Amino acid sequence: MWLNRNITKTKTDPKILAKLLGKFFDLGEENLQSWVKHRFIEKFYGPRPHPFVEALQHPSRATLLGYVVEHQHFLKQWVRSCSFIMARTDATDVVLYELDNINTEFGGMGPGRPSHYELLLRMGESLGLERRKVLATPPLLETKEALQLWDGICQKDHWVEAMVAMHGLELIANRNLRKEGARVHYFDPTILESETVTEATKAFLREGYEADVGHSEEALDLATKYAGQLSILEDVQATFMKSIDAFDHYLMARLERSRQFESS
Amino acid sequence: MRSITISWLGWREVDSLRVPEKGCALCEATWGDYWEDVEGQRMFFCCDICAVEFKNMIREIKDQTGWNIIDEIKMTGDYRGRDCIALRNSEKYHFFIRFGSRGQIEAFMAKIG
Repeated sequence: MWLNRNITKTKTDPKILAKLLGKFFDLGEENLQSWVKHRFIEKFYGPRPHPFVEALQHPSRATLLGYVVEHQHFLKQWVRSCSFIMARTDATDVVLYELDNINTEFGGMGPGRPSHYELLLRMGESLGLERRKVLATPPLLETKEALQLWDGICQKDHWVEAMVAMHGLELIANRNLRKEGARVHYFDPTILESETVTEATKAFLREGYEADVGHSEEALDLATKYAGQLSILEDVQATFMKSIDAFDHYLMARLERSRQFESS
Repeated sequence: MRSITISWLGWREVDSLRVPEKGCALCEATWGDYWEDVEGQRMFFCCDICAVEFKNMIREIKDQTGWNIIDEIKMTGDYRGRDCIALRNSEKYHFFIRFGSRGQIEAFMAKIG
């Protein structure tokens, strides 16, 4: 299945396959950060952007509620993942980076700067979904399986692999990807200036739009440095590919959940 | 739009599905070596998940249409979802289908043709 989706659907002899795989993982003139971006764009922002990204361009209430219900589970796992990375590294710059990330995503920085998690729940409330209902809803199977994969990576694989597996996903909202070949933004930025979505929705989307450029790129800079020093580049690349497959399924789960709200 | 199954009169002289000459009956990949009996004939799939997906799709079409035999299914799309047309004699049934990671149907929507 992985070969079908990433290399070729046509059965090839082992020598040709080895060359194709070598080419796929070869950094060439790129570094790890640009390779990761390239692969991410290919999967989520290529000629057929991911269906959730398409839905989020001008999101319906149902799309946003599907986002809220599944993403609260993602963000809870997110803190666990970042914490595992911190616990398993001895690099101070990585610890500081993860602390800042956890605060932005989950802890918040006082009443004036609520966390992404809090903004997510407020978005749900602004659309008529009480937070107690959001918090009481278990994840869909695809979300659950993705969370298990990320939990396993962060507990068992090298912390540099975990960093790229997790923070590489923050590329989804990195607006700079447009300059690097992405066909669309995560959402149409004009909705931030329009009246088509609630103020709480704008606050949530704006936060990711502004934070995730720095989050993803700083993490990938750190990972590029340490993967090189530790000579674990290929492990990092392979783990990243597993992670974005899980992310693909997780984004589909958001859409699946949103269908439940379509008639409500 | 590709067509993966075509009506034909099989050797047992009953209507049956004809699979592509090459490749998985669902995704057309030529990797793998997984075979299953589906609709009375031996079919090649690239993996067990594609076999489960294919069988679930056939079952769902039959449930939705009441047909006992499907002549042909035309599909476009990929693992994120497929727009399909099932054919039986002169009848057409348009639908969208998407599978979960274990081959279960996660989304199925009949469409107006």
